[in-house]
Amino acid sequence: MLSEERRTENLTLSGRVSGRLANPDVRDEFGLETLDMSMGPQHPAMHGLLRLILELDGETVVRCDPVMGYLHRSKEKISENRMYPAVIPITDRIDYMNNIAMEYGYVLAVEKLLDAEIPPRADAIRALMNEFGRIMSHIPSIGFLLLELGAFTPILYAFRERERIQSLFEAVTGARMMFHYIRIGGVKADLPEDIPEKMWEYIEGLEQRLQPDFVDLIEGNEIFIARTRGIGKLTQEKAVEMGLTGPPLRCTGVEFDVRKHYPYGWYKNLDFEVITDTEGDVEASYRVRLGEVKQSIRMIKQILENLPEGEVMADLGRRIRPAEGDGIGRVESARGEYAVHVVSDGSDTPYRVHYRTPCTVNMQLLQEIVPGHYLPDIMPIMGLIDPVSGAWDK
Amino acid sequence: MAVTLPEGDLNGRLERYLEGFRNRHGLEESEVEANIVRLVVKPEILPAVLATAKERLGVLHLSFITVVDRVESFELTYELLDLRGGQVRVKTTVEGEEPVIDSITGIYPTANWHEREAYDMFGIAFRGHPDLRRLYMWQDHFDHHPLLKSFEISTKRTFENLR
Repeated sequence: MLSEERRTENLTLSGRVSGRLANPDVRDEFGLETLDMSMGPQHPAMHGLLRLILELDGETVVRCDPVMGYLHRSKEKISENRMYPAVIPITDRIDYMNNIAMEYGYVLAVEKLLDAEIPPRADAIRALMNEFGRIMSHIPSIGFLLLELGAFTPILYAFRERERIQSLFEAVTGARMMFHYIRIGGVKADLPEDIPEKMWEYIEGLEQRLQPDFVDLIEGNEIFIARTRGIGKLTQEKAVEMGLTGPPLRCTGVEFDVRKHYPYGWYKNLDFEVITDTEGDVEASYRVRLGEVKQSIRMIKQILENLPEGEVMADLGRRIRPAEGDGIGRVESARGEYAVHVVSDGSDTPYRVHYRTPCTVNMQLLQEIVPGHYLPDIMPIMGLIDPVSGAWDK
Repeated sequence: MAVTLPEGDLNGRLERYLEGFRNRHGLEESEVEANIVRLVVKPEILPAVLATAKERLGVLHLSFITVVDRVESFELTYELLDLRGGQVRVKTTVEGEEPVIDSITGIYPTANWHEREAYDMFGIAFRGHPDLRRLYMWQDHFDHHPLLKSFEISTKRTFENLR
């Protein structure tokens, strides 16, 4: 509980107290003042519920202050009050564009606590689904970026691809969005017999469609270049300093990928490249995302070619009670490094679960990078970070 | 400007990190386990230890800060990555009902929102933080810190009360 003294102490510690509009009433020598504007939380182009408090000088942003918490559902508290397996559906709802990676991170953390051995087939299926999840998230990201710039066609193509992958996922997991597929000790069920073939067929088709639908249509477009080249320009130092991960970090040229440098599961056996770019602007992040889709296709082909046989679930018993200690699971989600820290006290429920979502951390960039840009440039910069409401608010 | 990331053999690098921490801070409870350097430090020297990690040893990335409410004290875990396979996990314990610890935003600017989240959820004050506001909950008229164990919710599901 926060007593009055405590409040004043915090005031002296921090200086600023609330996220309200400040109305500084500051005029320069010509009698011109800056304008405070609230953008969102309901905004047609925003990636969910986010309010940005902007201070504008003409059309240039002077200060940008994100206000979050409109979709805060306190998943960490809920997770503390559920048994270990029952937390998985909650992790699904963190990043709802890339759910499989969210499940994967939590399950890895619990398996580290249990010291469990996972059958190789389950590991391979996890990696397979995870890569499909990445495609399912990256392609609509490209679509959203273009939608915000005013191009309507790419989002239709993007959602066509997403829907097709969702149909494959429905056949495997039984759900189109909230899969609850990766379980502690393995996966829920084996792939249906005809699915590997259908996946292969789909991937071959996607490979052919990628060039006309997502490269030829977008890359050389004059408006696209005018709106994205040099926008949200980042240096490597800034990116590392701000703790960025995922495409926003890689588009500056820093080669870091959890799958490569902190390998987990089946990724040790796969051959792939970490896609980087040198520019560090919105256009570069588009190229990085597209390159990663191509790498995902390559990985899926490798997995489908050598899918190991055997069980898909380890026998860990019905009651999961890890010994005291802590386990950290770290995966590369579509948006960056996603880590889950599970602390156990030896009971049925986790003592503490902490989700490190890439969106929360990457969004700090808004405060740093938006000032100096024009107001309409905010949307391409959101496309560079590509946050998801459920993930930044937890 | 390019960032230089550490190179070379992972085990040798981890040993170098451990040596570096031990030489400068004399940490007794420190060890290398798998690819993790584990340190247990007193809260007073935490900023100095993290400054050593970043400036001397080149561990550039702060992954997250986890706070665990141990009812009478708070356990803070600072997870650092060198982005090339090495991890440094620094643990510290802060006593008291209304704990205060030094902010590390001067060392790792990315800690800004991690610390705001910790303040919001647990009421831990970070001394020297530039902008210590709540991150998720309401700014005013809300005097609770929801992740404290003393903040109770009505439905706890355990194995026994399933039946």
